[in-house]
Amino acid sequence: MVLVTVFIGLAATTAVAPLLASRLGRAAGWPLAAAFAALTALTATQAPAVLAGQAVEFSWAWIPSIDAAFRLRLDGLGLLFTVLVLGIGALIMAYCARYFDAKSSQSRFYTLMGIFAVAMLGLVLADDLLLLFVFWELTSICSFFLIGGAGDKAVEPARRALVVTAGGGLALLAAVALLSVQTGTTQLSTILADPGWTEGWTGPLVAVLVIIAAITKSGQVPFHFWLPGAMAASTPVSAYLHAAAMVKAGIYLLMRFSPVFHDMPLWNGVLVLVGLATAIYGAALALKQTDLKSLAAMSTVSQLGYLVAIIGVGTSYALAAAAVHTLAHALFKASLFMMVGVVDNQTGTRDLHRLGGLRRLMPASAVITALAALSAAGVPPLLGFYSKEKMFAGFVDADGPVWAGPLLGLLAVVAAVLTFGYCARFWFGVFGGPLSERTDVREAPAPFLLAPAITGAAGALLGVGVVTLAPFAERITADTGFPGAGVEIHLIPGLSVDLGMSVVAIALGILLHLRREQAGALLDRVRTPFTGDGVFDRAMAGFVAAGSRAGGLTRTFSPAAHLPPAIVLLGVLSAAALWWGTPVGPLQELLVRPTDWIVVGCVAVAVLAAVVVRTRISAVVLLGVVGALMGLWFLLLGAVDVALTQLVVEVLTVVVLVLVLRRLPSRFHSTGTLRRSLAAVLAVGAGALAAGGTLLLTNRRELSEVSRWLMANSKEETGGINVVNTILVDFRALDTLGEVTVVGLAALGILALLRTTSLTGSAAIELTGGTRPEDDPVDNTIVVRTVGRIMAPAIVLLSLYMLFRGHNAHGGGFIGALVAGAGLCLAHAAAPDPRRSLVRRIPYVPVIAGGLALAVVTGLLGYLVGGGFLTPFPIELGFTYISSAVVFDVGVYLIVVGAVVAALHRLAIAELLEDDAAPPGAASRPADDTQYPMVAVGSGGRDSEEGEL
Amino acid sequence: MTAAILAGVLVAGGVYLVLQRGLIRMAFGVILLGHAANVVLLAAGGLYRREAALIDQIAAVQAAADPLPQAFVLTAIVITFGVTVYLVALAGSGSGDDTEETT
Repeated sequence: MVLVTVFIGLAATTAVAPLLASRLGRAAGWPLAAAFAALTALTATQAPAVLAGQAVEFSWAWIPSIDAAFRLRLDGLGLLFTVLVLGIGALIMAYCARYFDAKSSQSRFYTLMGIFAVAMLGLVLADDLLLLFVFWELTSICSFFLIGGAGDKAVEPARRALVVTAGGGLALLAAVALLSVQTGTTQLSTILADPGWTEGWTGPLVAVLVIIAAITKSGQVPFHFWLPGAMAASTPVSAYLHAAAMVKAGIYLLMRFSPVFHDMPLWNGVLVLVGLATAIYGAALALKQTDLKSLAAMSTVSQLGYLVAIIGVGTSYALAAAAVHTLAHALFKASLFMMVGVVDNQTGTRDLHRLGGLRRLMPASAVITALAALSAAGVPPLLGFYSKEKMFAGFVDADGPVWAGPLLGLLAVVAAVLTFGYCARFWFGVFGGPLSERTDVREAPAPFLLAPAITGAAGALLGVGVVTLAPFAERITADTGFPGAGVEIHLIPGLSVDLGMSVVAIALGILLHLRREQAGALLDRVRTPFTGDGVFDRAMAGFVAAGSRAGGLTRTFSPAAHLPPAIVLLGVLSAAALWWGTPVGPLQELLVRPTDWIVVGCVAVAVLAAVVVRTRISAVVLLGVVGALMGLWFLLLGAVDVALTQLVVEVLTVVVLVLVLRRLPSRFHSTGTLRRSLAAVLAVGAGALAAGGTLLLTNRRELSEVSRWLMANSKEETGGINVVNTILVDFRALDTLGEVTVVGLAALGILALLRTTSLTGSAAIELTGGTRPEDDPVDNTIVVRTVGRIMAPAIVLLSLYMLFRGHNAHGGGFIGALVAGAGLCLAHAAAPDPRRSLVRRIPYVPVIAGGLALAVVTGLLGYLVGGGFLTPFPIELGFTYISSAVVFDVGVYLIVVGAVVAALHRLAIAELLEDDAAPPGAASRPADDTQYPMVAVGSGGRDSEEGEL
Repeated sequence: MTAAILAGVLVAGGVYLVLQRGLIRMAFGVILLGHAANVVLLAAGGLYRREAALIDQIAAVQAAADPLPQAFVLTAIVITFGVTVYLVALAGSGSGDDTEETT
């Protein structure tokens, strides 16, 4: 329970961070630090249990189907990293309270730092692979935003950091997937406790993936380059993410997987090689830096290399050393970074050439920095000395060939000498030597120095009290694969090889510092032919260019160009299916009536004509003919409801098409012979396949079981006898709800579309202005007006009848709505001026929304009567009762009517209204999102719809 | 047989139109393809039973047309209408092959 309390506590702290920051500004760091410290103390209460070998666990089911759970587990290793995350986090927050400008708002910063802390805590506590992965990537994302927040110059570094670390995260994802498939669980502790899966190829593969994830995250060669770049972020970010916490995630992962991999030669070899190369390379580069922060960054790269190498050695002694050094490094490196920020803030520079001699002006800072630098350099009695000595011993005692131990020891000493050199360079560069040009520098205020002083003092105290760390190191050794292995730590080291190595390293380090001029000259002569950043940027540009070339193959503005491949592919697939033979049932008795052939013949003629005509209006007429014939066909099949729908939709389609087409040129564009021939070939092929497929695959079965059940039970279950309608509003009402939502959205889509772009041309039609009756907009609609005045209300009434009788006879919401739409179209056409049309007064958006709300509410009421969503129930009306499904159908009706009105309104009326609203003489108006940018129509702006019909 | 020929004719016409220039003709092609899909759906239910599926009014269940594909087709028609309206609105706005005079 404590675990989840700590986790939720941290999340809650993060949630209030923006509030605190907006109230308190930078001082929000103090309450946040207090919260972090309290959570650290709370975690520490679990230490006795953890040390006794009782891991603290918490589990909450997350995705039970794949056995993924929100599992947290605190063992010795988890305790070390949790204390680092929360403890160092508290100190960094306290440091932030004085680091930033007093007036600046740091809400974004504190929020991101909080989210990062939550992710990091989750990462080190996660006992579930999926959870581990999610938090792993979340830390990378937080790092990206925190680096990128530092301004324009930080954009490229932020991108590099994200691509490298998130790319490594993909390797972790692959490992997670492999492990969960191979073991059938995602629980980390179970997987590590039973290493049966390491047999065969899975073990090495997972090892390599884990190594890739870890060394990208922890900035190891050859992925080290992102870490110095990340120093573009503010100093607290560098101290927390890029020294103490996030880059340690790789170290954590390696230690976590040590129990299963520590005796795998691949694991040992790769980690030791990469780690030592990074340690020496990073330390050498640190010696060259003139920017204090870059020096600290290269030092981090180097120290992480040390840790990776010692974990790679994979003995109990080595892992104990890794644990102690992780702690030591977090303390001294956080101190160093924070002191970089202090020096930067007090002097305004981080350049070693412009610093120096500050020991008199900033004595307290000098002492704190010295504590951290001496610990890093491995000078007794600071913690860094003991951890480094443990590591020396670990390297020398490495398993493997006889020469391995001495060689590794030698390389470790080389790295240690260089480390001593750059630590001396850091301190003497800032505080030693003669005073540089600045003489007005003052010591930093005490609250600013508090956090680095605590980390520095902790390094010293833990150095003197190093024996108290023994039980923790022993526990971690047990957690990393060596249960029962004792760890001995002595305050006064005995005479041993590792003591000798320390002495040699310090002596040579002093020598290096004294000869720093020569060493620097030597280092300057070494030039690498390329840099990590350069290689990365070139690779990135190459990827983008390759993607652009690949995309270019299909990039075109002509939609028709995308279709032939799809059509051909579909054709090939269906031809293959026909060729290899899909098992088909026996052909049922054929029932072909002569009337069928008449319909088919007429459709064929109409389709052929529609394909070859050159004017748009004739194509519309021919399409109308095809649609009407389809209605007839449906009627012949006994699909009466479908036929009704089809016929009315056909009328509405023609109306809408005419509303748009009258604005467009009357003729289609001509297309070349080649294109027409290719299209014809594809069309004939596709048609033949469709015909073949239909012949082979349909009409070969009895009434399906579902349909038979529906036929048998529809009446008892729903009270309706029109089975098609009961399917729509009862049995499959959820489908229907989805479908009417699509219709409503299509209508809203038209609104959105026509708000941002205008229709071409004008809705107004110029009449010739003659004196004949057909030239007058009022006179020429006399027939339609007379008919419409009687018929339109009758049709709308008819639609209501169709709606309510739908449950028991042909009709229903869809059909009723379409009939109503046809009536409204007639009413619209009958108006001499669209502005006076009845349609104008219907608030279509509320009608659509109301219909949807009605349908959903009716569905929700189903819960009240003890069923589920959309369960129908009878509604008493006194004299009779109706099914709630009918009410649902009313919702369907409203949505479809609203959609038809929306189309009419937007395509025929809206712009005329806005045109009227325009000030006189205005030729055009600025386009904004509520008005059409359009050119005012001419003086003959009265129009009549049916002039075209 | 008739359903197969009908579907074939509609698909051929639809494919030919969607491969032409201009969104309007593509929209016309989509309408024809929609008809073809509806024919196939209904054919899947079987064409040898042709009585309207109204319980109490049919002689035998075995004579009734399959109501399930009918329900699918009914909603499909309405959705095709919505999509068609959207497509022609798209074709009617902006500029390009649809809105410019033939040169």
